[in-house]
Amino acid sequence: MKRPIRVLVAKPGLDGHDRGALIVAQGLRDAGMEVIYTGLRQTVAQIVAAAVDEDVDCIGLSSLSGAHMSLFPALLDELQKEGANDILVIGGGVIPPTDVRALKALGIAEIFTPGSTVTEMADFIRSRVRKNRGTERAAADPASAPQVIDHIGVAVVSLEDALRFYRDHLGLQVVHEEMIPDQHVRAAFLQLGETHIELLESTSEHGPIARFIAKRGPGVHHVAYRVDSVSEWLERARSSGLRVIDDAPRTGGQHKLIAFVHPASAHGVLTEYCQIVQE
Amino acid sequence: MANESYKERKEQFLTSSGINVQRIYDWTGAETADAYEERLGDSGMYPFTRGIQPTMYRGRFWTMRQYAGFGDAKQTNARFRYLLEQGQTGLSTAFDLPTQIGYDADHPFALGEVGKVGVSISSLLDMETLFAQIPLDRVSTSMTINAPAAVLLAMYIAVGEKQGVPGASLSGTIQNDILKEYVARGTYIYPPQPSMRLITNTFAFCAEHAPQFNTISISGYHMREAGSTAVQEIAFTLANARAYVDAALGAGLAIDDFAPRLSFFFNAHNNFFEEIAKFRAARRIWARIMKEEYGAQSQKSWQLRFHTQTGGSTLTAQQPDNNIVRVTMQALAAVLGGTQSLHTNSRDEALALPTEESARIALRTQQIIAHESGVADTVDPLGGSYYVEALTDEIERQAIVYMDGIAAMGGAVRAVEQGYMQREIQAAAYETQCRIERREDVVVGMNAFTVANETEPELLRIGPELEEEARIRLRDLRAQRDQTAVHASLRRLEQAARGDDNLLPPILEAVRVYATLGEICDQLRGVFGEYRPQHW
Repeated sequence: MKRPIRVLVAKPGLDGHDRGALIVAQGLRDAGMEVIYTGLRQTVAQIVAAAVDEDVDCIGLSSLSGAHMSLFPALLDELQKEGANDILVIGGGVIPPTDVRALKALGIAEIFTPGSTVTEMADFIRSRVRKNRGTERAAADPASAPQVIDHIGVAVVSLEDALRFYRDHLGLQVVHEEMIPDQHVRAAFLQLGETHIELLESTSEHGPIARFIAKRGPGVHHVAYRVDSVSEWLERARSSGLRVIDDAPRTGGQHKLIAFVHPASAHGVLTEYCQIVQE
Repeated sequence: MANESYKERKEQFLTSSGINVQRIYDWTGAETADAYEERLGDSGMYPFTRGIQPTMYRGRFWTMRQYAGFGDAKQTNARFRYLLEQGQTGLSTAFDLPTQIGYDADHPFALGEVGKVGVSISSLLDMETLFAQIPLDRVSTSMTINAPAAVLLAMYIAVGEKQGVPGASLSGTIQNDILKEYVARGTYIYPPQPSMRLITNTFAFCAEHAPQFNTISISGYHMREAGSTAVQEIAFTLANARAYVDAALGAGLAIDDFAPRLSFFFNAHNNFFEEIAKFRAARRIWARIMKEEYGAQSQKSWQLRFHTQTGGSTLTAQQPDNNIVRVTMQALAAVLGGTQSLHTNSRDEALALPTEESARIALRTQQIIAHESGVADTVDPLGGSYYVEALTDEIERQAIVYMDGIAAMGGAVRAVEQGYMQREIQAAAYETQCRIERREDVVVGMNAFTVANETEPELLRIGPELEEEARIRLRDLRAQRDQTAVHASLRRLEQAARGDDNLLPPILEAVRVYATLGEICDQLRGVFGEYRPQHW
């Protein structure tokens, strides 16, 4: 098994603003990384010691107090001194553009300022760490190939009608129903072993399901494979030149993290990567 | 309901606190005459939903109090005098992080932080410079200082003494709210119990020696900045307020001796009506707690007086001029909510400390609301709005559910120690971030309506030479002052800390002989220890 990416999120100096650091820590965890958060008021030496002890791939520094021009370079020096300068260092906070340029010139790999998304950070870390580890692989790792079909999406004209077949005739149990407003969809999930049948009814004539039915009629809409990390699979799809529909993982039905590959790249089947997010 | 010809653009309309907003509000549930007396009351009348004074801004405008401070005491003194000349009516002091955490500017932990987020104050000498040519009997000064609040207050009193202004003529506010530091802001020093003692000592000392001083500003602002909802903001703040009242009563103070000097500090965020309703709900809840739960007799004890600052975390680094518009709406919400004083943020605060020009636009924003818009000409102009009253009731209801929950845990100090508020806020903050990343929440200029090439605005820069100058000033001070007097005063402080005496008199004595902030705080560190938070 491949080792997950390990990240140390650190608050150097005296700054107490940790909303950003906490959100990034939680978001990177949800993106499948192992994250250690140092807590407030860490000296540069403490951070480097923790990074070495925890054998991390990346240090994320957060500072909103204006001390970044002293603290970030000091951390790079300390890493050098400890022979740990292979660790990727990124930063974030209230950092003006001129300082961003200066810090990047000194060796901070990237600075994420207010408005950056955790998804961008996760993608950045993943691509750089993979390069660092030198494990860019052409083929998928068989160990992490999907083990199960999470669900099969079926576009239906009317949920009530469809349930007469799936629930009343086949006898499958409805385990969950949900509105997905941004997709204009009402969905019902029926249990079949580890897999769900997801019945999709459009709530608007402009929604994707309505358009699908108008073009191709009701029927199988997509197949969703359960994976460990949607973002890694997206990255893999992109690097193999597949056409992806989502640039970044997003939240789908039942709060799972999902992303789609276009049918044109999957032999006519709309294909979904689907990751269960641990609460 | 789902009439196709009246389709709405969203399934649900929710406020920041998750309150479901109806399509239209009507007289159903509106106040009857009896309920009006009970739930609203005229301004200046219990339960003060409509405002704490009868005339509100018809008497005088809110205090326009811009938070300022950067670099050394000399630079900040110049900014203060500039703001006063520009028509600002009160001062508000930002201290740098070493000062806020009780380290002198030459301490190793101060590296890179001196003068960055506020002014650097290491001793009475710096404080004298900070208020040079500013007569302390004619200006009210707010100081954002918490863990070492007693020390900075003592320095302020000592500057007053040098100017010939007695304590009784000093007015202002110290933030002095340690509980929210553990929850959200992070500038704690000591563990909760001795910190609570420092706070009640300050209450007692000021009741006698500086009766015009607000001894605490119980703050929801930073919890909101950390990501709480509007309901959580007032619920956690008022729960913390209860803890301070309980501590003061436990220390033997009489409720009406200190409660009139309690003040509050809230955020003015984006959801306009929710914010207005929040301020009104907070006033009503507090009045009832003070009168009915604590049996306070003085009207002044029932009145929730508050300062407001517009929401820093709502500002975007992208297209920073858009922030002027955000700040205007937030400031208007604070005024319509009946604030006593207001700070409007500068447009460039997501990038750096504000420039002088940005700070001036922020102040002008308040002046335009006050002098041109006409909104200050009647009291509580939105009182009786079906929507605002319904929101006020709902926020009150939800806040009380939270507060009862915290009481059941054993009060705010226990809840903070167990990380309860921290976890609630973190969950709300993460949810907000996810909504923004999924573009369910639109942030104009950031995740929608973006421009390709942002121009780089002019920014204020604090030079590193400041740190060296501060170090030299401290070295000279330590060489010139009466060393014996300093050591004696620090020894007396330590003895007092080990016993039960009020700590303010020995702190004041140490400050007068130029013991430094770091020396005083270290003396107390030796007795009280330091707070170490638990981490997940």
